[in-house]
Amino acid sequence: MGAWEFYLIVLLVYLGTDLLAAWGLNLEFGVTGVANLGYIVTIAAGAYAYVICTLDSPASAGGFQQYVGGFGLPFPIALAGGVVAGSVVGVLIGITGLKRLRQDYQAIAMLVVSLMAATVVTADTPFLNGNAGLVILPQFAPLSDQDPELQRWVYVGIVAVCCVAGYLVLRRFTTGPIGRTLRAVRDDEYAAAAIGKNIVVLRLVVQAAGGALGGLSGALLVGFIGGWSPGAWAYVETLALLTAVIVGGMGNDRGVSIGTFVIAILLLQGVQFLPQISSRLGLKEDLGWIVLGTVTILFIWFRPQGILPERRPKYGASP
Amino acid sequence: MSGARGPILEVEDLVKHYGGVRAVDGISFSVERGAITGLIGPNGAGKSTALNVIGGFLPPDSGRVLLDGEDVTGEPMHRLARRGVVRTFQMARVFGGLTTIENLLVAAPAQRGETAMGLVGGKRFWGGQETEHLERAKEMLSAFGMRDKADEQARNLSGGQKRAVETMRALMARPKLLLLDEPMAGLSPSLSKQLEDLFLELAHDGLSLLLVEHSLDTVERLCSKVVVMAQGRVLAEGRMSELRTRREVQDAYVIG
Amino acid sequence: MQLLIEAIGFGIASGAVIALGAVGFSVQFGMSNVLNITYGALMTLGAYIGLFLIDRGISAWVALAISGIVVGVVSVAFNRGLLAPLVKRGTRAFAIVIVTVSAGVVLQYVIVVFAGADAKSYGEQSGQTFHLLGMVLTASEVNIIVLAAVLMLGLHLLLTRTTLGRAMRATASNRILAQSCGIATDRISDIAWMLSGMLCGAAGVALAITTVSFDFSLGAVFLIPMIAAAVLGGIGQPYGAMVGGLVVGIASELAAAFTNPAYREVVAFGILIVMLLVRPHGLFGAAWATRRLMA
Repeated sequence: MGAWEFYLIVLLVYLGTDLLAAWGLNLEFGVTGVANLGYIVTIAAGAYAYVICTLDSPASAGGFQQYVGGFGLPFPIALAGGVVAGSVVGVLIGITGLKRLRQDYQAIAMLVVSLMAATVVTADTPFLNGNAGLVILPQFAPLSDQDPELQRWVYVGIVAVCCVAGYLVLRRFTTGPIGRTLRAVRDDEYAAAAIGKNIVVLRLVVQAAGGALGGLSGALLVGFIGGWSPGAWAYVETLALLTAVIVGGMGNDRGVSIGTFVIAILLLQGVQFLPQISSRLGLKEDLGWIVLGTVTILFIWFRPQGILPERRPKYGASP
Repeated sequence: MSGARGPILEVEDLVKHYGGVRAVDGISFSVERGAITGLIGPNGAGKSTALNVIGGFLPPDSGRVLLDGEDVTGEPMHRLARRGVVRTFQMARVFGGLTTIENLLVAAPAQRGETAMGLVGGKRFWGGQETEHLERAKEMLSAFGMRDKADEQARNLSGGQKRAVETMRALMARPKLLLLDEPMAGLSPSLSKQLEDLFLELAHDGLSLLLVEHSLDTVERLCSKVVVMAQGRVLAEGRMSELRTRREVQDAYVIG
Repeated sequence: MQLLIEAIGFGIASGAVIALGAVGFSVQFGMSNVLNITYGALMTLGAYIGLFLIDRGISAWVALAISGIVVGVVSVAFNRGLLAPLVKRGTRAFAIVIVTVSAGVVLQYVIVVFAGADAKSYGEQSGQTFHLLGMVLTASEVNIIVLAAVLMLGLHLLLTRTTLGRAMRATASNRILAQSCGIATDRISDIAWMLSGMLCGAAGVALAITTVSFDFSLGAVFLIPMIAAAVLGGIGQPYGAMVGGLVVGIASELAAAFTNPAYREVVAFGILIVMLLVRPHGLFGAAWATRRLMA
């Protein structure tokens, strides 16, 4: 397999999993107004759940990693485990945001929850192997009797199918009466309550759905990469997704898809193609974060509605 | 249904501390069914706080609120709304990101599209009901002369238009009791008059209204019964024309 | 018992630094109604400016003063150039938080690009060790505690005894009313940001002095305990932040001494979450700040 072909596959898998995560975050923030700065934890939960479902028990796997679980389940079930884990964690995070606080305070609360989760996982080694993270051995190999090239393309296909399924579920939430109600909650929570909307239930349902998408994203990603560690889910990762949502167009599913493409692919991958300025390791990544942060600020300053602003359906005004 | 002939709402010894003050200090009054009841008093009398507590925005510290004879004390806003108690806010709060007509549609009660079945079933499940709501919303917009603004983003509306949207939205929710916090504030005299006529018509059709209002003339025109508050307490209850002459009411407005 | 007293000693030392940072953070919230997450990266900036100066032979304490002034100026520019205009435009609070988080990320990685991602150190700064009442403190820790106390006292005197201080308190509690009293609120705001920025820079240098080594994540790591302290004491309220700093510092050290050292951070997280969920206006919250917290 040529280097370009492999690179394309990596790009497509990242794009697919980023799309799922961005859709989930957009549902929570862009549509419902939940400022979930801790969203990355749902992705991490999905990844870890997938790993502990897939791996055999710690002892039989050689004992060089410590973790709970280890059920040795097949791929589809492990994937489902990731979805459920993301959903549950999403609801738990959501509970911290329910207090009648200003939106930026809620954001900080949810961010702190994500930091706490990272600290606990890192410190408590028997839980999920602490700072070292977990590695999947053997790695998932669909159609393992075929050649590796085909296997990788099959994985891309699996990611694509999950994206289509995820998008269809997403649309059920962002369109129609419920989509309208969620946006009302976003625009003015109290006015929405005053006309009978149960804010608590709506927010938690949205966090469950958004978390499910995040969990699926994490599970698919870890299935491809083969490992996951606390370093992979620093709080800045939520910022990258948030930028994609803002740049693309908050509340607009298609806009957010475009934003994800622009940010995840063009920006973060594009930085890899910058000429090597100095011999320092990680310089390109650092530049990537600088550009990302700047883009976010520029968009909030100049075009907060994003590339594709949210568009509401028209019902024909003329009587 | 108990209390179907009596007052639609009864408040008993309601107390609310707010910002370190006894904003509502043991008030008791009743709201008449199918009529407009006014809640008046000088600034700082606690009228808005009382309305906030009755409307479920703030929980009371003690006391009771009875709706149709049923104890609904401390119930949250959305639960009260589903019982038919709908409130409007002093500053018109429209859903800016939705269009005008969507602001109305979102208020329609018991929408099938908001249930779990609705998520699963999709348009086939809730489409029919949605069309009914759409018709109702269009009619209401026409009645308020805002049909041409139906697809306009609500955040782009003028202040008076937003106030109208808020009133329409409250009506879409099919209320039994409407709680109104100075609904005419900031409206032009002609719009005010239109709103007054609307309120009288609604009361005639059986809707009950509790109106917090500053203008005593408006209150005299609209309200069959008036409750006067001052310093967190109820001073007097009765018809405006009688109360106007009462000494303690006059004093409250001078001092308070 | 000895362990307890020693832990309290460490707690007072770290609490003093946390208090220093928390007060600055609190003042910024009180004055401009924003949660300035960039504060963390600005502390890092202070630490690295201090490093730059110390490497050139300047004493740590002069470096602290200079760092404070530089970060103060940067903070004023940041507020005037970016935050205040956004607030004036009616940008929602959460969008402003995203801006400050992003600016923090940008500043942090700019520092990395220029100074490298490796661990830095101020070198041997501790000085001799003192034994006071069973607590073990180094000279630099004692100096920092004294410095923090002096700065807190200075701030207290400023706020309560001077016209400027009164103007600052008025602007913080009700800007519009202050304006109608003829107070130049924009200028007062600048001064508040300058002072709090100086505390921020000083806190950064103080952190670097009291840790063996540090890197670009210094500010980000210590920001959370500072926010916890500020919220605990009642955000917008500098006195509360002082008390909050000590509480957070001592509680963290006690947790580290008696359980797992890794749980030092978790204590600060826990305090913050519990306060936000149970009593967001903190222990000594001012009424006007409380109103701003609720949606």
